[in-house]
Amino acid sequence: MSNAPNLQQNRYKADLREVRFLLFEQFKLDQILGQGPFEAWGPDEVQMVVDEAYKFSCEVLGPLNAVGDRTGCRLEGGQVYTPPGFKEAWNKLYEAGWMAVSAEPEYGGQGGPFTLHITIQEFMSGANSAFIMYPGLAFGAAEVIQLFGTDAQKEHYLRTMYGGKWGGTMCLTEPQAGSDVGSSRTTAKKLPDGKYAIRGTKIFISGGDHDCAENIVHLVLARVDNAPAGTKGLSLFIVPKVRTNADGSLGEANDVTVGAIEHKMGINGSATCVLNFGENDGCVGELVGTVENQGMSQMFRMMNGARISVGLQGVAVASAAYLNALEYARDRKQGPSINNWKDATAPRVAIVEHPDVRRMLLDMKSRVEGIRALIIKLTRHFDMTRVLQGKDDEQALYHQGQVDLLVPLVKAYGSDQGFRVCETAIQTYGGAGYIKDYPVEQYCRDAKVFSIYEGTNHIQAMDLVGRKLGQRGGANLQGFLGDVAAFVKANEKHPVLGKAVKELGEAQEAVAGTAMRLLGWFQMGKMPMVPLSANRFLEMMSETAVAWLLLDAAKIALDAQEKLPAGDESASERAFYEGKKHTALYYALNVLPHVRLSAEILGREDSSALEISTESFATV
Amino acid sequence: MKILVALKRVADPDNANKVKIPPSGDRIDTAGLEWKPNPFDEYALEAALRLTEDGKAPKARAGEVVVVTFGPKETEQTLRAALATGADRAIRVDVTDDKLDGALVARALKALVEREKPDVVLMGKQAVDGDSNQVGQSLAELLDWPMATFAATIQEEQGALLVGREVDGGVAVLRVRLPAVVTVDLRIVAPTSVYSLKTARTHKYNDGVRFAALPAIMASKKKPLAEVKLADLTADSGLKVQYHGFEPPPARKAGIKVKDVADLVARLKNEAKVL
Repeated sequence: MSNAPNLQQNRYKADLREVRFLLFEQFKLDQILGQGPFEAWGPDEVQMVVDEAYKFSCEVLGPLNAVGDRTGCRLEGGQVYTPPGFKEAWNKLYEAGWMAVSAEPEYGGQGGPFTLHITIQEFMSGANSAFIMYPGLAFGAAEVIQLFGTDAQKEHYLRTMYGGKWGGTMCLTEPQAGSDVGSSRTTAKKLPDGKYAIRGTKIFISGGDHDCAENIVHLVLARVDNAPAGTKGLSLFIVPKVRTNADGSLGEANDVTVGAIEHKMGINGSATCVLNFGENDGCVGELVGTVENQGMSQMFRMMNGARISVGLQGVAVASAAYLNALEYARDRKQGPSINNWKDATAPRVAIVEHPDVRRMLLDMKSRVEGIRALIIKLTRHFDMTRVLQGKDDEQALYHQGQVDLLVPLVKAYGSDQGFRVCETAIQTYGGAGYIKDYPVEQYCRDAKVFSIYEGTNHIQAMDLVGRKLGQRGGANLQGFLGDVAAFVKANEKHPVLGKAVKELGEAQEAVAGTAMRLLGWFQMGKMPMVPLSANRFLEMMSETAVAWLLLDAAKIALDAQEKLPAGDESASERAFYEGKKHTALYYALNVLPHVRLSAEILGREDSSALEISTESFATV
Repeated sequence: MKILVALKRVADPDNANKVKIPPSGDRIDTAGLEWKPNPFDEYALEAALRLTEDGKAPKARAGEVVVVTFGPKETEQTLRAALATGADRAIRVDVTDDKLDGALVARALKALVEREKPDVVLMGKQAVDGDSNQVGQSLAELLDWPMATFAATIQEEQGALLVGREVDGGVAVLRVRLPAVVTVDLRIVAPTSVYSLKTARTHKYNDGVRFAALPAIMASKKKPLAEVKLADLTADSGLKVQYHGFEPPPARKAGIKVKDVADLVARLKNEAKVL
């Protein structure tokens, strides 16, 4: 029944009603528009940017998704060539200005809310998650220079990087230094003119080389001579592929060469490079800012943004997979309705009528919408830090604390669940989902890397447990738990949602109790229990947060539904709001109870995985 | 050159299955539909932009493009989007769809044209909701202007346009003296369909309509958008078209298998009565 797939067909779609609901009904973006840092922005501008960026994603990036996957990148004569169409898409992207929505006006941006930037990044990531790596990393690298660079560096690099003239990367990983960044061996030797000679090899560098921009600005983590061992002795350097003159023109090559590109499971349109710096002693870099040994803390700032983007990639691809699976399920006829199961002549129904397919669809819907809400919650906190800066510093600290706390949740839960939603989407299609005529198998392959790069999800869990829980004396966690508790208290008697809200209250208590337990393990010297339990704890906290936001959405939806005029002209709005209710109830009653169970499991302190000897895993 | 582009917003044609008719059958239910500009009108805007620029430097406008729509306050979003893609000014005639028909829109447009004095009025050959295909022709008649419909190509000449019209079996080329009314068809947005006097004949446009860029979206807020009352344009707001009822197209019936060719012919003759 399948025709030969048209590789250039756009398969991406998003539910723009859902986007409007999140931005304006649940997270009330209009409250911060038209004033302070967002003076130039009103709801109309936000809506137009959403509409146009969505159109752009469907018409320019979507048609390149399968092409990029099948063609991949190639390395020829030391230069990486991206799949056909990527370079033109890069040019169109920067012509349209979509990477500069939230960038500073001083450097060519429009100074808009980060929430809007992330909203449209979801479209682009979902339409083509391999392509978005190139501009995404350029954006992240530019942000680091904006935060930590000298005035001269900002002047020299920011406009060109935000404007797409030059690309950018972040270079951390080395063959022996993956999650263990501290064992980096790349060296930086100070030169008489104050610059540094860079030498070393970096691997797994996304967008390490490409043909979209005339130059690429690498941010390279390296150790200066005599700097301390470990992460404390790392500094961050600006190392362009081609040296640049003061006027922005290009000089000679900077001895940065591509050793190889990787052949991967997914995101084949994104070039993952081995980069050699200074093989011929001709690689020169400049320190970001003026102080050595600040590399890790600077990199962490970049990673905050990058980690949000990876969680977003998870939800973006998952959302595309869900909406495609939904379309298929509404169309594909197979089997009779379960109500006619004895009647062999009963009419065949669309598979969306079958209970298990409905379960899968609602499961996907709840995870996608819940994690998307979590991301917007985070970005909304971030925007508040900008609104409150200098006006109410204490409140600004609260919001920054929530950003810090939620980043590992967004990255890890977003990417883990993103992959699982893609897998469920394949299952919804059945055999058709496993073949390349349909887009979901690519989504699934592309999505796997999200739980690995930008710090594996275990690194995220350790960041949460080891750094974030205790941050500001535990105030960030207390703030989060307090927000959830306040919602529970206000809504536990809700006629429709009450039962689910009670479940949320129990989950909140389980999270609080488990956090105390983790702290106890630290204090009692049961250190190995902490990493053994960290992923599970991150999942508990994420499920609690997601359930909270889904229930919050359901409450808003039910209130809005009541105000709809009676009669069938409101039918589709009513259906939308009904969907919010069922989504929240499903998640709270089918997924959220895992939190209590997890707390109970962790309470048993089972350490089988620690006790089993390495020999006992297998005899081969 | 000054161009007036008439834009209509329509229910998203990609979601045509969401269009519903209530049991009363007295109207089409448009609630919950996403609104989009009529695609043919978007093509008309793109053609207008191409006619008022040098294709090499599309940011500078040579002349003026004024967009006009008929609709309630929400339709200003359609106009803002047009301003963001390059139009200079916008006019909204405040009225709702149910109080309009093609003849009334044409009468009101005539009054607007007399005020604005454009060299060309451009619009889509038809709107994809009602598919009436009337306004351009009626307007040209009321103005007593030359007209070219279904334009696939437009080339600017001194005081005239050379218009390639889609006709059965090919393209017929007409020269229309300005001022004129031109309605456009699908192929008007192909890479080599429209040339102003400034654009080199070797220039190739991107296929399709241009995207609104972010800085232009932000700047569009500062472009003028005027509201006009329908009564200020025409004293006669009567409708020539009266809608008596709506019904969805009949659902497709299940097919049958015919025995043989003779059976088929017999059925085509006696039941379908097409032979």
